[in-house]
Amino acid sequence: MPETDLLERCRNAVELARAHGADRVEAFAQSLETVNSTIEKHDLQISKSQLEASIGIRAFVGHRVGFASTNDLTQVDAACRDAIGLAKASPEDPHNVLPDQEAVAPVDGLFDPAAETFEAADAVRRTAKMLALAEDIDRRVIVNDGWFDAGIRHVAVANSHGLAVEERGSLFTYGALATARDGDLVSNFDFQFGATRCVAEIDVERPIRRVCESALASLGASRGKSFKGTVLLAPTAVSDILIGTLLFQLNARNELRGRTRWKDVGQSIAVPSIDLVDDGRLPGGVATASFDREGVPHRETPLIENGVLASFMHNAYTAHATGIGNTAHAAGTSRSIPAIGPTNLTLRPGETTVEEITADIHEGLLVRRFSGNADPISGDFSGSAKAAHLIEGGKLTHAVSGTLIAGNVFDALKGISGLSREVERVFNLTLPYVRLEGISVTAN
Amino acid sequence: MRTLLEGIASAASSWVELRYHARRSKRLVVRNGQVEESSSVELIGVGVRAFVDGTFGFASTTDLSQAGIEKAVQVARTSAEAASAAKKKRIERLADARLATGSYPLQTADPLEGHSLEEKLALVIDTDAMVRARSDLIVSSEVSYAEMVDEKVIVTSDGASVETTDAKPALRVLAIAEQSGDQTRGLETLGITGGWTEFLGTRSPEDLVERAVQLAVDQLRAPHATGGAAHVALDPQLVGVLSHEAIGHTVEADFVMGGAITADKIGERIASELVTMCDSGASEHLPHAVGELPIDDEGVPCERTVIIDRGVLRSYLHNRETAGHYGVAPTGNARAYTYADEPLIRMTNTYVEPGETEVGELIDGIQDGYYLRGFGPSGQADSNAEFMFGVREARRVRNGKVGELMRGVTISGNAFEVLHSVDAVANDFRWEYAAGYCGKGQAAKVDDGGPHIRCRLTIGGEQNA
Repeated sequence: MPETDLLERCRNAVELARAHGADRVEAFAQSLETVNSTIEKHDLQISKSQLEASIGIRAFVGHRVGFASTNDLTQVDAACRDAIGLAKASPEDPHNVLPDQEAVAPVDGLFDPAAETFEAADAVRRTAKMLALAEDIDRRVIVNDGWFDAGIRHVAVANSHGLAVEERGSLFTYGALATARDGDLVSNFDFQFGATRCVAEIDVERPIRRVCESALASLGASRGKSFKGTVLLAPTAVSDILIGTLLFQLNARNELRGRTRWKDVGQSIAVPSIDLVDDGRLPGGVATASFDREGVPHRETPLIENGVLASFMHNAYTAHATGIGNTAHAAGTSRSIPAIGPTNLTLRPGETTVEEITADIHEGLLVRRFSGNADPISGDFSGSAKAAHLIEGGKLTHAVSGTLIAGNVFDALKGISGLSREVERVFNLTLPYVRLEGISVTAN
Repeated sequence: MRTLLEGIASAASSWVELRYHARRSKRLVVRNGQVEESSSVELIGVGVRAFVDGTFGFASTTDLSQAGIEKAVQVARTSAEAASAAKKKRIERLADARLATGSYPLQTADPLEGHSLEEKLALVIDTDAMVRARSDLIVSSEVSYAEMVDEKVIVTSDGASVETTDAKPALRVLAIAEQSGDQTRGLETLGITGGWTEFLGTRSPEDLVERAVQLAVDQLRAPHATGGAAHVALDPQLVGVLSHEAIGHTVEADFVMGGAITADKIGERIASELVTMCDSGASEHLPHAVGELPIDDEGVPCERTVIIDRGVLRSYLHNRETAGHYGVAPTGNARAYTYADEPLIRMTNTYVEPGETEVGELIDGIQDGYYLRGFGPSGQADSNAEFMFGVREARRVRNGKVGELMRGVTISGNAFEVLHSVDAVANDFRWEYAAGYCGKGQAAKVDDGGPHIRCRLTIGGEQNA
C-alpha cells in the first residue's frame, strides 16, 4: 500500500526529535511507487516494480546540524536520535537555519489520476512499441539500452517553524541509447529521451525516431579536420559542455566557498543575447513542483539576463549567509541533506533557424554529443565530439569520428555567435543550438 | 532472515532469487573548516527476482514480514509473465553454477562500527585544515569521508544460501589553488574494502593532502599541452582505468550480446602479448581493493577471470544468463547496488598483470613523450572501445627524464589499438583504491589497477591554429 499519511509522519518526527532534545527540526518524507520495463541488447530485458517510503530528519542543536534517514518507518525514533547525535558531534555554524512558513500555491497538471492504474504490463507494452518502431525505421539500428518508467512520487515536508506541505506527482520518462552496426562499421552511441506527466501524452515515437537517425548518420564516419574556429553545438552537447559549469558557477554555496569565478550579481559574463531562466513551476517540466526540498515555494528566477549575472541559486543556508532572498533551489531527496540545484532551466532561443546558422558557416563542426571533461572551476573543456559532422561551405558534408574539441567555457560564453530558434528539452533543460567561435578542433 | 528466505524460496513455484540487503552509510563533508554534511542513511529491504518462461521479473519491498516478501514474489512473477509475452528472444537457461552456501563475513579485527562518529569527524576536520595550511595559494579545501556497511542474505530456489558482510570506507581530498584569477584543482582519493586500521594503513591522509595540494599549485604555472600522437608511460591508476572503462565494459557479456566490438573475438589477438588482463573478486597482489567481493548477488563465487591472456581475448564477464547463452561457467560478476536493484553484470577488481621491466627502465625508453598519472576529473568510453579520459597529472618526458607539468591534458584513442601498441609492462603493481563508483544504470564499488605500462595514444590539448 502506498503511504497516505506522509505529512502526519513528518509532523510526528518533528515532535519526536524535539522531545529527544533537538532545538529545531525538519522532516522530509517521500513515497515512490514505480513500475518500469527495460530494453537491453535490442530486446525486452526485465520488468520491475518498487514501492518504498522513506524519511529524512534534520535535527538542529543550537546551530549544529545532523541528518539521518531511514526507509524503515518503524525506525523513525532511532533516526531522530542519530540525527541529534550527529548534530552534537558537529561544530556550530550560524547559517544552519530552517526556512519560515510561506504560502504555497499548488501547480496544476502534476498528477494524472490515470497513473494510479498504470501497471507493469502497460510499461512492457510501451517498451515493446519502442523496439518495434526502431525495427521499422532501420534494421541496422541496435537499441542497446532503453527504458520506460512510470512513477508516482508523493513528498511531504514539515518543520518546527510550522511549515507543513505535501504534493503528489506522476511522471512518465522513456529513452533509448542506440548504435547502428553495418558489417564491421559501428556507429557512436546516441541517446534520446522523452517525458510527460500524463498517460495520454506519452510519445515514445519521437525519441526513437531521433536516436535512429543520429546513430545511422554517424555510421561510416571518417577522419575529420583540424582547425581552430566555429563549432555548432546541438542541445545535448550544449548540456554536456556548458550547463555543468554554469550550474556550478550559479550555485550560491560554491560562491560562498570561494570556488566560483563569478562573484557579483551585475557582472557581465556572456554576450548580451544570453538569457538563462530557472522556473520550478514551468508547465510540463520534469522538475516542476510547487515547493523545494525545504518546503519553500518555487518561482521563476532569472539567472542570467542580457549576458549579465542576475542571481545565484539559493537555499535557506546560503540565503541566510549572504543576506539575499531565498530562491527556492533546495534540492535533494529524503536520503540527503538539502543541496542546491536547478529546477527547469531555459536558455532563451535566438531568431535564426539551425539551417540558417549552418548556411553561414564556411568551415565548422556540428557536435551532437560531447564526451569528455568540462572543469567547472577553470572552465576548460576537452573531449570527443560525438555524432559530429563537418560543415563546409554552409553545408553538412560528412560524419566524422575520433575528433577532439577543446576550449574554455568562460571564453565561449563571451564568444557565442548564434542561438537557434529551435529548442529541445533535454531532461530538465530547454536549449537551443549554440554557435561558438575559437574552439580547437583536432582530428585524430 | 536466512531461514525465512529459504522457506519462501523452497515454496516458490518457479525459480526465484531473494536478497535481503541492509546498508548503513555515513557521510561527513567538511569544506573550508565548516561541516557541510554529517549524515547517516539506512536502506533496508528485500529484492526478489523471478524467472518465468525465459524472462525475469523483479520486485522490491521494505515489508520484511513473510507476507510482505511473499507478496513481492507474486509481483515479480506477474511482471515476468507480462514481460515474457513481449520478449522476442527468451533466455534459454540459467547456467549451472557452483552456488555458494554458508557465511562470508568481512575479515577485519577493527570494524568501522567500532569507531565513533566524533573520531571520524575529527579525521575529516583535521585533514581539511591540513590542506589549507599547506600553501598560501590554496583558496578552498574540501574533504569528505564516506562509509558503506552492508549485510546481505542471498537465497535462490536452486540452492544458493549465503550471508555476507562488507565494509567500504573512502576519503576524498580536494584542494583548490588560485593565482591572478586563475583557479586549478588537485584531487586525491582513497577507498578500500576493510576496517579502520586497514583504511588508514593503506594510504595516510597526510600523503593524500600533500599530493592534492602539490598538484593544484603546480598546475597554476603549467602550460597547456599540444595535441597529437605521443609515446607515453601510464601509471597504475590510468592502466586500471583504461582496463576498466575502455576494455572491461566491452567484455561485459550483456554488452557483448548487444554488439560490443569484442563480439566473436574470443581466441583472437587483441593486444600486445605483453598484456594479461583479469577481473577478480579477490584483491590480487595487494590487499583491500575496493571491488573485493566473495560471492556475487546470484550466489556465485567471484573468481579470478583472465580476460586477456598474453594478448589473446579469453573470456567475457558473465552472469548466469549470459553464461547459459555462451555455454560457459558464470564468472561471479552479477551485482546489484541496493535491495531495490536487480543484479547486472559488473566488474569487481579489474587489472593488468605485472610484467618484467623496471619502472625506471620503462620511462628511460621514452625519447619525447609524457608521463601520465591518475584519472580525472572525468572521461568516457564507447562500445567500440573508443575512449577519452582526463589526466590528473601529465608531465613531459624528454630523453627518459620526467620534466614539467602540463595542464588540461586528455588522452584518447581506441583501447585495443592502445593495447596493441604496448611495448613495455613494468614489474610493479598498485590498485587505484578508488573512492568513487562505476555507473551502469546502477552504481557499483569497483577497483582497478596494474603496473606502469608504455604505449602510444593521442594527447588532447589546445590546437595551435
